Formats: sequence, structure tokens, C-alpha cells
Amino acid sequence: MHGVKRRQWSRELLKQKRIEDEKKIKQYRSLVDTVLNLKETQIYTKDSLKLSKEVLQWNPEFNTVWNFRRDIIENVKGQLDVTFWEDELNFTMAELKKFPKVYWIWNHRVWVLKNHIDSSLKIWQRELIIVNKLLDMDARNFHGWHYRRRIIKVIEDRTGKSNDHEELELTTQKINKNISNFSAWHQRVQLITRMNDTDEFENRKEFITNEIDYITNAMFTDAEDQSVWFYMEWFLEYEMVSKVLNHNEYTTILNKFQSNILIINEDDKEFSGKENPWCLKMLIIIEKLQTNLGIEIKDGKSKEWIAKLIEADPLRKNRYLYLLHEEK
Amino acid sequence: MPMEFLKEKHIEYIKSLDAKQGDLEYWLSEHLRLNGVYWGLTALCILDAKDTFKKEDIVNFVLSCWVKSTGGFSPFPRHDAHLLTTLSGIQILSIYNSLDALTEEQIEKCVEFIKKNQLEDGSFQGDRFGEVDTRFIYTALSSLSILGRLTPEIVDPAVDYILKCYNFDGGFGLSPGSESHAAQAFTCLGALAVVGKVNKLSKSQIDKIGWWLCERQLPEGGLNGRPSKLPDVCYSWWVLSSLAIINKLNWIDYKKLRHFILSSQDTKRGGISDRPDNEVDVFHTLFGITGLSLMGFENLNPIDPVYCMPCEVTSKFKKYPY
Repeated sequence: MHGVKRRQWSRELLKQKRIEDEKKIKQYRSLVDTVLNLKETQIYTKDSLKLSKEVLQWNPEFNTVWNFRRDIIENVKGQLDVTFWEDELNFTMAELKKFPKVYWIWNHRVWVLKNHIDSSLKIWQRELIIVNKLLDMDARNFHGWHYRRRIIKVIEDRTGKSNDHEELELTTQKINKNISNFSAWHQRVQLITRMNDTDEFENRKEFITNEIDYITNAMFTDAEDQSVWFYMEWFLEYEMVSKVLNHNEYTTILNKFQSNILIINEDDKEFSGKENPWCLKMLIIIEKLQTNLGIEIKDGKSKEWIAKLIEADPLRKNRYLYLLHEEK
Repeated sequence: MPMEFLKEKHIEYIKSLDAKQGDLEYWLSEHLRLNGVYWGLTALCILDAKDTFKKEDIVNFVLSCWVKSTGGFSPFPRHDAHLLTTLSGIQILSIYNSLDALTEEQIEKCVEFIKKNQLEDGSFQGDRFGEVDTRFIYTALSSLSILGRLTPEIVDPAVDYILKCYNFDGGFGLSPGSESHAAQAFTCLGALAVVGKVNKLSKSQIDKIGWWLCERQLPEGGLNGRPSKLPDVCYSWWVLSSLAIINKLNWIDYKKLRHFILSSQDTKRGGISDRPDNEVDVFHTLFGITGLSLMGFENLNPIDPVYCMPCEVTSKFKKYPY
């Protein structure tokens, strides 16, 4: 099971577990039976609400009971006040803290927000603060990021105002905290693309110049981490960059990245005696971009770098052999 | 560390799963039972031990999971139908060549259930509560493919939606704009392959997908699902099957991955865990075994990377477009 340490059960221990389980199984099965009976006879009452919650506290992955619970709520909606809806949010939060990777809980929470008796915007804005806290606990939880995008979408639809600038700032904070947070780098790409498409940058050129500094810093901070390199590759190939910068500016940027990456690789070689595979991979990409720009490269090094990669990164040897073949 | 594949122990482990009714965990996992049967049965087929399960019992269990009111399959009698479990039900019946255990009316209702969950934009929701995820496109298209009921009206918008889930880094997300995740690479590429549309991806996209996938291999040999995450045996399936679909299976190091999978075996009781020294389960047992099968190790029966079912079964499927 994901992340659960293996235990070796002695006969004695197993016997003891079975005795303890026997009682729990009886209790659980009887509760499940009761709730499924209520479901099948469509008994939608506050009592059914209470019992369905008990099952979910035993087992938050029981999606059928989440479904039943929503059907009950739909049916007794008129009797439910704001306290109920807030309790429901508290309940899902308590479960999410224990089981942050269970899809059903995240979905139920969105459903609760959408059906909350208080349909004001502040419920959704408060939710953003809450999801921040969840992402603080696990900054890579893709459920959390997906959920955040859903919340933002609702807020934007309702206010008619874009949150892109604030969201971009959030990705900066997350990356500054941990440069390997690829979820944040990913989100940065989504935001920049959208901001460019909808003309949200006040000054594209200024943004690009700052972003290049940001990437350069990141690369010098941790040259081992693939997050930065994937992002850098995207950025250098991104059409906004090559369109906004003129030919000379773009060429200069590529050359500068090239020389910086060569420096990092030399440092790595000096330090560990090994080439840095990500530097080599990026150098190949930059040389390709230079060629595409029509820059004449007298002394192309791509083949040499690919050959070095076969040595430096043998796990992916066959990819490099493929690239060598493509170079021909 | 055992460097030997413990075939007999894995068979014993899978066989023992239904005898665990004295454990609370057995009852807490009812919502996964039909999936669990599919995982166990497929693993047994690849281990060449299909007869370990009694066909009649399994087929009857699957039939007991069919939900009359909606037409889909639930994970366990009295639970609700969902696309995830509908695929498992159809896969099990198909492996046993027993789809005819369903009446024509049942099949009609099942097809309706799947089709009804497709949304305007081509995506699928898992059930009437509206969760959208590329996992459900895969389960829907694969189910309809096995039943021979794909149509352009279903396929074309679904393909458009999948292409929107392709990311700048060469991976796929659970919806447009979501971060790349190796399991989603399988659901997206698998769905495209089921409907014969992998060619909708350009050569440079395919090369990039291959790159992102092979970067999942870590120095210890195991594969992760996203950058900077720990390795996990189940990615031996999600990543390898994806690489197989784009004909770049050998872009990772087989020997090292084999070592990682074998190190995750429980040498005492059989079964495979997510990583060495963790608790085993039938999900990781299947995906460890299918990973080994794709790489051609241990003399295993071949697994189809698109359907995650024995090739012997899938070779008889009618390929779309019909």
C-alpha cells in the first residue's frame, strides 16, 4: 500500500489482531448495512445524515455513501441552516487532513461549496486561504493544486476579474520556498501563457527580462533539479519570448544561457568529476534554437554533448542513441 | 535483497486475498473489490495461472455488481455504479470470454450509462456527480472498445479533449491546465491508442513525451510519477505502457527497473509493494508483474500496453474505426 511500512506478523500478533478486528468488523458491517438499507429505501432524514457520516468517518473512500449523503442533503435542504453547511466543510477538512489524497473528499467539498446556503463570494474567497494552508502542508499535492484552480475559476467567473497576477506571485513564493516544486513551475507556465494570450502584461519586455534573471538565479541555485530545466526549456522556446525580443536580443539571451550553463557544467566537473546531464541536455536544445534562428554555427557541439550524455546518464542511453541518429 | 522473481509466492498471495475476511481492511476495501478482482485476475493470467480463480464464482460476482437502475457496474453489490468499476467488470468478463453472460438489454443499458457520462466538451464524468478526469475518458473508451461500441460522435470530441490535456513538458494532466502525471500519460495515450488516434500527436510531441517519461527513472532504478517524487512500482506500468504505446519502451534501463521491482517483493508472503519494505497489495503486485512482462523478463505471458489485459485476449478485439 502506498507509503505503508511492511510488518511481519507473528502468529501471536495476527491472532490478537483478528480478535480485535472481529468486534470492529461486526460494528462496521452492521452500520454499513443500516446505511445501505436507508439508501435503498430512500430514507432522506437528518438521522440518515448522521449515520452516513459515521460510515464515512470509518471509511472516507466509500464513494457510494458520499453519493447517498449528497442525495440526503438535496432532499432535506430546506431544513438545513448555515451551521450545517459550515459543519460539512469542517467535516471534509478534518478528513482531508487525514487523507489528503482521496479524490472523493475533495469532490464532496467542491459540491458543498457550490450548494452552500451562503452563496456569497466570501465563502469562495475564504476557501482560497484554506487551500493555501493545505498547500503549505504539502506543496506538491496535485489534488490541492487542481482544487485551487477550480476555486479560482469560480471567483474569476463571479467577479469578472482575473486573479492571474496574484496567482503568479503565489507561484514565485512557492518556488522561492522550494525550487524543486514543479507543481508551482507548472502553474507558472499556465499563468504566463494565459496572461500573454489575454494581454495582461503591462510591459512584456520587462517581464521577459525579469524572468530571465529569475531562471538564471534558479539554475545557479540548484543545477541538479529537473524542474528548473524543464521550465527553462519551455521559456526559451515560448513564442512570446522570441517575438517580443528582436533577433539580436534573443540571440544574446541564448548565448548568455549557453555560456552560463557551460560554467555550471565546468564547476560540476571540477567538483564531482562528472558532467552535469541537465546542462548537456539544455546545451543541445539551445544549439538547436540557435540553428533555427539561422545563426551559423561553425563548430556544432550537439553530437559531442549527446555522446557525453550516453556516459553521464546511462539510464537513458537509448534516447541519446536515438538523438544521435536524428542528428545525422 | 532477493533477485529472483517469486512467481509461486505471488500466485499464493493473490489466492489468499479473498480469505482475509477476518481482517477489518477486507471490509474497508469493498469499494475496490471489483477493481481488485480485475487486478488479481490479470496478474494471474500474466503469471500463467488463470485457473487459480474459479471462473464461475468470479463471473457470478461480476454479474452481482451490475446495477440495474443505472446500467453500470459497482465495485460491490449494493454500491453505486461508476465508470472506473464499469471497465473492471467488462474487462473481467472479457478475459473469461463471458461477455455473453450479460443479456443484450444489460449491454445496451451499460453502453447508455457510459455514453450518458460524456460531457459537451468531450470529457467524461465518473458518475452523475460530475467529477471530470482523463481517467474516466480512458475507462469509457476502453469499455466501449471492448464492447465494440465506439462511434465518431463519442470518439472525436474525446480525442480533442485529450489533446488539450497535453502539457508543455511532454506529459498529460487530469484536465486541461493540470500538472503532468505519469498515470495520466497512460490514460491519455491509452485512450488515444484504443481509438487508433495516437497519430494526432506530432513527431516532436511524441519525442517530448518519450523524454518526459524516461526522465521518470531514478538512479535506484524505480520510476516516479512526477519530477522530484519518490519511485513507486505502479509507475513501472504507467510509464512503461506509455512508452510502449509510442514505441520507445527501451528509453529506460530495464535491468535497473527490474531490480527495483524485484526488491519490492515480499519474500515471505508474496506480493509486491510500492517500494522496498512497504506493505504489499494486489494493485502494486499487478503493476510490478505487468512492468516485468513489458520488458520481457521472467518468461511471463505478454500484456497489452493499451488495455492492460493479456494480449491473448485483446488480440481478438475489433479495432476502431470499424
